[in-house]
Amino acid sequence: MFAFFSCITTVHAKQHYAARHCCSGQLVAPVLIVENLFKYFPPAQTGWRAMLQPLARATFRALAAVSFSQEPGTAMALVGPNGAGKSTLLRILATLLLPTRGTARVAGFDVVRRPAEVRRRIGVHSGTDGGFYARLTARENLRFFATLNNLRDAEARARIGELAEWLHLGPVLDRQVRMLSTGTVHRLNLARALLHRPPVLLLDEPTRSLDPLAAASFRRLLRDELIDREGITVLFSSHALEEVHALADRILLLDSGRVLACASPAELLRRTATDTLEAALARLLPSSEPKP
Amino acid sequence: MNLRQPLHKLVAIFRRDLIITRSYRITFLLEMLEALMGVASFYYLSKFVQTEALARTLPQGHDYFSFAVVGFAFFDYLTVAVVAVELSLREARENGALEALLVTQTSVPLLLAGSALYPFLIASLRTLVYLGWAVLVFGFPVTSANWPAAAAALLASVLAFAGLGILSASYILLFKRGNPARWAILGVSALVGGVMYPVAVLPEPLQWLARLTPISYSLEAVRSALLAGASFAAVWPAVRALLLFAAVLLPLSLAVFAWSLRRTKMAGTLTHF
Repeated sequence: MFAFFSCITTVHAKQHYAARHCCSGQLVAPVLIVENLFKYFPPAQTGWRAMLQPLARATFRALAAVSFSQEPGTAMALVGPNGAGKSTLLRILATLLLPTRGTARVAGFDVVRRPAEVRRRIGVHSGTDGGFYARLTARENLRFFATLNNLRDAEARARIGELAEWLHLGPVLDRQVRMLSTGTVHRLNLARALLHRPPVLLLDEPTRSLDPLAAASFRRLLRDELIDREGITVLFSSHALEEVHALADRILLLDSGRVLACASPAELLRRTATDTLEAALARLLPSSEPKP
Repeated sequence: MNLRQPLHKLVAIFRRDLIITRSYRITFLLEMLEALMGVASFYYLSKFVQTEALARTLPQGHDYFSFAVVGFAFFDYLTVAVVAVELSLREARENGALEALLVTQTSVPLLLAGSALYPFLIASLRTLVYLGWAVLVFGFPVTSANWPAAAAALLASVLAFAGLGILSASYILLFKRGNPARWAILGVSALVGGVMYPVAVLPEPLQWLARLTPISYSLEAVRSALLAGASFAAVWPAVRALLLFAAVLLPLSLAVFAWSLRRTKMAGTLTHF
């Protein structure tokens, strides 16, 4: 089973490295290309040795030979158990981590060699409700990050107004961030990621701490507005399979840093002969197979 | 080269820090009162220790109060330079903003410079308050001061001290806590820099060490300009030494910071604290 789906991955990756035809007949190049990516970390230490971790030899494998590509205007879900390498992969694409080997390109720019060009083209949502200045209002925070993303004052004002309306942030824009609910801060986080109109969004468990209604609303916003209307490419990690089902055009299944499968949800169901994503993933993940 | 965008970003970082500080007004007020207490302590200490023999050992022949107030105020500058970037970095890491800052289209040197801007302004204000209290309440002599020469010395000092601050921040980025770099810079500067006593009273090896610390040149220039009204030409050798420190320390510290950032990105410890 493992080998079968590794094969699917390889075929997909090869298909995507070459430019592909979209429905209009025009050539569409993948916006994300990851080739043979490896990441090793120094093993976690305790006590005084923890201090020297950045200088220690990297021996713990987080990603191994990860290859995939993603076309513009699509959503891909990174799925897998805790420690599978989902966040590591997202952080490498966000230029916050350096890979050990292999290459990753965003809109044609290598994340190691051209990080500034990559940052111009990505919006990052960390999935936490931190990362803002609690004593600044939502508007002041957005204005600050807009300036750091090269938006001029008038442009930033207009964009903040536009995003506030779109993400229903209008009534809270002038409140200090410390007064906002988790759901609102998540929307604010998304607004920050979108300030400079990036063509690619990287989302790390974007609905992790949202209540079910807020999570559903967040998904609708992503699918209807960002992916379908704006044509933004979204790569997101998630443990919520209903979210994966609602959003993802394709699923990249990771386990212990390796790609187990890369296919559309329908394809996964068909090839595992199951009728739910949960059952399909359970078949594919070796650790979830019943032990003899 | 278009300078408008970097300046715009520096202003944005400054405005952020100003808004945050404004929301803790009482802290600012207390700092200003603390300056008065510090100046008063030096005034009464100088009354206690001032003798003919001491006056002869002080440069420019001024009293111990003037000597100590200038030393105290400028040591505060050095402290701010060394801890400002480090504190900003630690705060950003703890509230989760560090990653959000690093994925923006702003370079790390600009983020560092911006983070130091507000603390330096506050340190300047605090220095003015020290001197203000000293002049208004305790008769600190400023009638003969050469302000432009003092300002030039101050500017050169800020550039030299900033390099030390970035080196200290590099340590924190890499090793997270317990900063021997800060301890070494501030401890050695306090010991041999001529803050509370003239460098001339130190044994020869420590005087030699003093020549390797920027604050000794900074204090020499600022005291000459403020207390003896020295001309720009007279303070130029010290200013030149400070500029030389800056020319070496700034690129070196930025390279060390870039290396530390790269190591943390390799090890995945950027957000650890």
